[in-house]
Amino acid sequence: METIRSFIEIASVFVLPLLIVGFPLYGLLKKVPVYEEFVEGAKGGFKVAVTIIPYLVAILFAIGMFRASGAMDFLVDGLRPIFGLIGVPPEVLPMMILRPLTGSGSAAIVLDMINQFGEDSILVKMVATMFGSTETTFYVIAVYFGAVNIKRTRHAVPAGLIADAVALISAVYVVRWMFG
Amino acid sequence: MLNYIWAGLIILSLVFGIVYDANDLASDTYRNGESYALTVSAAPGADMQSRRIPVTVSVNPEEYRAFYGSTSAPDTSFAGVVIQNQEGLQLRFAEDASLPEPWATIRSQTSERDNDLRGPLEDWDTATGSATVTFSAVRFVKMRAIAAAALSMAELAVELALGLIGVLALWMGLLQIAEKSGLIDSVVRYTQPILRPLFPDIPKGHPAMGMIVLNLTANMLGLGNAATPLGIKAMEELQTLNEDKETATDSMVMLLAMNTASVQIVPPVLLVALMGLQINELIFAIIIVTTISLVVAVVAAKLLGRMQRFRSRPAAVIASSESREG
Repeated sequence: METIRSFIEIASVFVLPLLIVGFPLYGLLKKVPVYEEFVEGAKGGFKVAVTIIPYLVAILFAIGMFRASGAMDFLVDGLRPIFGLIGVPPEVLPMMILRPLTGSGSAAIVLDMINQFGEDSILVKMVATMFGSTETTFYVIAVYFGAVNIKRTRHAVPAGLIADAVALISAVYVVRWMFG
Repeated sequence: MLNYIWAGLIILSLVFGIVYDANDLASDTYRNGESYALTVSAAPGADMQSRRIPVTVSVNPEEYRAFYGSTSAPDTSFAGVVIQNQEGLQLRFAEDASLPEPWATIRSQTSERDNDLRGPLEDWDTATGSATVTFSAVRFVKMRAIAAAALSMAELAVELALGLIGVLALWMGLLQIAEKSGLIDSVVRYTQPILRPLFPDIPKGHPAMGMIVLNLTANMLGLGNAATPLGIKAMEELQTLNEDKETATDSMVMLLAMNTASVQIVPPVLLVALMGLQINELIFAIIIVTTISLVVAVVAAKLLGRMQRFRSRPAAVIASSESREG
């Protein structure tokens, strides 16, 4: 186990430099004008960033308002009995609601809970696993679909949210099973 | 779907904000306009004629809780100053003092810039120190917060998007080289058999498959910075196969679902920074959870795509319905 883990860790450090050096190197071998092609491709970066702005503004301001309105407290109170039935501790509920909505907000929750309960606490392990296991779904949707100007997202939101819900709930069970 | 969620977030925040503020008004959470009795004692040897008199403010916790009907336990004494001028006396708590609720909220609403709680001081008996202070009225806390959040998040969105430019340019440049040198084609050739069933509408040998593989790999390795540009590039390739440029295809939704639920062999950098060495214990928990959610995401994307309400409409139908709407 330990060797696999350290191998993965080392590999993850090397992947990035290897790709950044490897692509141009391979291009040179294949006689591609690497510098010219790089610049040609990089021109797209600005255009994409500007294209996603309206999508990102739309998503983020709505989420920001929702968080500021205090709706979270109502939701947590309302959901507590339901989640209590399936064995989810109430302390991790804010994380479960915020995770698909905001990355920085849910990172703040992890930090806050570390300060409150200590890194060894099982609650912190639960929220950290939740954080590591899911993406900020609405941000990903805004960026990926925004970049190609897709407005009708069809079943992307429900599929993403179903996957999030399963990840968030199974994080509770898996952590309890491993450390409980 | 996104239409309803988006509108729902905005409308709900207004509703919750109004309920919250109405509740504040009804229960008079901040005791607007009422004066609060406390003890203000000047620092020993302070010049009582000077413009700024350093003082210590003492608060009786029981009286505080009874007055505000709150459960917070305030410190019994706070540092502060009394400012004297023609208009009278004003008590100012020290900047950034740790205040109990609801004082903390009153401070954040009434003294945003200086972050010191302040109010006119009356009936100050310098011998015993007894005095009363009245803070400015606080109303509609959540309404203000909602408006401020909408504006600041709009700003943040642009910052985030513009912050991506550099990394996007770097990766799109590298990918251009990879494409021209035939590297993407070989990635496609080797991974096609595995991923083909998930993305049936991508033609054999199309570069979209290569970009998808690179994106998913970067995601697995916790390289968020690289995964986003690769994902965007994959979306661009998928868009070239799309007949209706404003509606997502099955493959796009599948890519998105796999991204939001991607298996994480290496946890994201941010989490490592937050958790320190403790993260080692969690790696396997994260791998198990993400594997479960990946399976669910793939199944959900496949099944939901077949449902009538999520069907992609053929171009002809869209054209006719749009002309009707217009």
